[in-house]
Amino acid sequence: MSSVVGDGTSRTGRPVREAPWAEAVFPVALTALGVFTIVDATRIFVPGSANTLGPRAFPYAVGALLVAVGVVLVIGLARGHRGDAEDSEDVDSGVGTDWPTVAKLTGSFAALVVLIEPLGWPVAATVLFGGTAWSLGARPWWRPMLVGAVLAVVVHVVFTQMLGLFLPAGPLDGVRFFG
Amino acid sequence: MTIVVGYVPKPEGRAALRAALDEADRRAESLHVLNTSRGDALVDPSYASPQDLEDVRRLLEEAGVEFDLEHRVGGRDGAEEVVEAAEKQNASLIVIGLRRRSPTGKLIFGSNAQRILLDAPCPVLAVKAPAGEAAGHLH
Amino acid sequence: MGDFAALLDGFTTAVQPIYLLYALIGVTLGTAVGVLPGIGPAMTVALLLPLTYTLEPTAALIMFAGIYYGGMYGGSTTSILLNTPGESASIITALEGNAMAKAGRGAAALATAAIGSFIAGTLATVALTLLAPAIADVAVKLGPQDYVALMVVAFLTVAALLGSSPARGIAALAVGLFLGLVGTDTLTAQQRFTFGVPALADGIDVVVVAVGVFAVGEALYVASRMRRGPIPLVPISGKFMTKDDMRRSWRPWLRGTAVGFPIGTMPAGGAEVATFLSYSLERRLSKRKHEFGNGAIEGVAGPESANNAAAAGVLVPLLTLGLPTSATAAIIIAAFQSYGIRPGPLLFQNESALVWALIASLYIGNVLLLVLNLPLVGVWVKLLQIPRPYLYAGILTFAALGSYSVGASTSDVVLLFLLGVLGWTMRRFGYPIAPAVVGLILGPIAEEQLRRTLAISQGDLTALVTSPFAALAYTALVVFMVLGWWLKRRQARTEAELAAAARAESQPAVVEGGRR
Repeated sequence: MSSVVGDGTSRTGRPVREAPWAEAVFPVALTALGVFTIVDATRIFVPGSANTLGPRAFPYAVGALLVAVGVVLVIGLARGHRGDAEDSEDVDSGVGTDWPTVAKLTGSFAALVVLIEPLGWPVAATVLFGGTAWSLGARPWWRPMLVGAVLAVVVHVVFTQMLGLFLPAGPLDGVRFFG
Repeated sequence: MTIVVGYVPKPEGRAALRAALDEADRRAESLHVLNTSRGDALVDPSYASPQDLEDVRRLLEEAGVEFDLEHRVGGRDGAEEVVEAAEKQNASLIVIGLRRRSPTGKLIFGSNAQRILLDAPCPVLAVKAPAGEAAGHLH
Repeated sequence: MGDFAALLDGFTTAVQPIYLLYALIGVTLGTAVGVLPGIGPAMTVALLLPLTYTLEPTAALIMFAGIYYGGMYGGSTTSILLNTPGESASIITALEGNAMAKAGRGAAALATAAIGSFIAGTLATVALTLLAPAIADVAVKLGPQDYVALMVVAFLTVAALLGSSPARGIAALAVGLFLGLVGTDTLTAQQRFTFGVPALADGIDVVVVAVGVFAVGEALYVASRMRRGPIPLVPISGKFMTKDDMRRSWRPWLRGTAVGFPIGTMPAGGAEVATFLSYSLERRLSKRKHEFGNGAIEGVAGPESANNAAAAGVLVPLLTLGLPTSATAAIIIAAFQSYGIRPGPLLFQNESALVWALIASLYIGNVLLLVLNLPLVGVWVKLLQIPRPYLYAGILTFAALGSYSVGASTSDVVLLFLLGVLGWTMRRFGYPIAPAVVGLILGPIAEEQLRRTLAISQGDLTALVTSPFAALAYTALVVFMVLGWWLKRRQARTEAELAAAARAESQPAVVEGGRR
């Protein structure tokens, strides 16, 4: 008698630590953003009256804050103060970043941006929903597409007909219930 | 030879397990009990809890048949898992439980039972939960 | 007109069938989305915002109040039935309520949470009703320098107290402040930081930011490291409320309210600190300390009440001063702004009918929640079976819908995605999201008030601190910081104790819980 009992979940695994430089990207970007803010703020035109606070002062302050906090964070990182990734019900803290999935998801999103105006919301949203669900592992591919199509059409009709919001209908323009 | 049974912690799953035990007895074959989850939802009522699994194990041990218990998260539909297990085990029989599903449910998610019937490499025994069985005990 | 008469007027508006319907839709949707795994109250509110775009303000805000209360409540159902490491405000409920459910008292846990939420929500709304107009009366007299002081208080407390370290909170705040700079400067009518992109001339829409960093950010974060495998669901069993449960619950309900409401009104107080404080209070007062951690009903009743009371408390600074003290509150301000209404002291004068209808609908929403939730638990549980790929596909679809319909332009959708990447990065490396949203909303207001102050004082910087209110605010800031730091430490200690208790518990053979 043998038994194979696999758990399949790794809820107890210690969080995977990525290279320290990955974590430094954000603070460095903050510092860069701060420098940019200060530099760009010098190009803001200041009208007359000198004794009041002009349109540059606040951007300067924000830029300085960005630089300061970026530097503090980088120093902190160097000293080993690392951030803990946020907990979430659906996140497995024991695995590394799954870049292919993120890329597929980005592709689905890009498809929506490209398709929404020529082909309309129903088609574009179907592609977004189907593509995202597929990249996250829904199989076979036509199942999320079908669910997405139903959802996209229902949302389209409810939002354009009942709530009066604008959504492009694409080739369906002029068809009853689609706008 | 082995009998593969697709188990779910529901009345139809328990019915399937009982029918499979009877068959194993009759044929003097071993049992391969399978309970898997696609594992893509926070909650999957078809995935047996450790306690439920313990009950299954006890029942099988009491029955005295040779058995195998496979319990894991696989990322695939139950139907695929069952068919694959049957192929791997070179099964003589697959036992599954049937449940009612609305026509829309069938359209979108298909029917696991139908997929098993179509793809199975061996005969399939499909049983229904006895009418009026409360979602209760195995014994 | 007295406040009471105004409230009655509010009720006559809110009980009109059409508004009742909006409240009902709001409460139902809010709960349904709030129940879904991975979706906290802030994301619930952000995702459902587009539903209210085309409604008239009263209807929209009534629906919104329902969504807010429903979303706050939805999480507790999930926590009781699943022990999920979800949003922090329901950690305690997850712990104690799940233990109750495992011991076969799930129904009682759900009931004490529901009734406690109702009682706390109602009492806290009464407190809001009494307190808010009085604060608004004082706040009307505030000058620009006083507002600057308030903003500084809000910035520093939110940034310092949310998140794992002050530096990370301030980093998030700074990002928000920068995003707030983008757009046209109100005083000199010139574009700043728009990169020549016409779509940015009006500034970055708060809705796009909120949906982007919360919804898209979360979806990307989950996609990048998705959990495979289910969590065992504890079946709902046992009697709803026995006399004994009732006797043990009513004091925690009231104490939870008393703890939660004031903390909710404080900047960066928010719901989570309130739940922890209430939990440790209940444990200290209880004669059955050993039950805590193993399913003590007081440990669900108190924190759940505190959670809802804090949710109402958050509305006090929001309605009277226009100060959002939590991420959810920041999104509610965005909702107000989309109707051209600026929450603040003048709200009670200029939009009196609207505000009172909103407050009345809070009472009604509480009743609806109590009526809806317990019978519908079965439906909410079904929602947890939605496969993750479909769930997150749905979130992204609604996020895209929300951002596109803000201005019917694809550039907002692109911006949404970029902000989603920002939200993902911040989550991934442990930066809190809320300060960014608060900074975005309050940044422009702070700048305007600051410049107005210095224009009036002819550049004299001392004007910023010489008004009595401002001086008081800066003093209060120091007190808040010390108090907040103390609360945080208490929370950390409670968490450590819980962890220790959990470890001690898991060593010996675990006591068999009742099944089915």
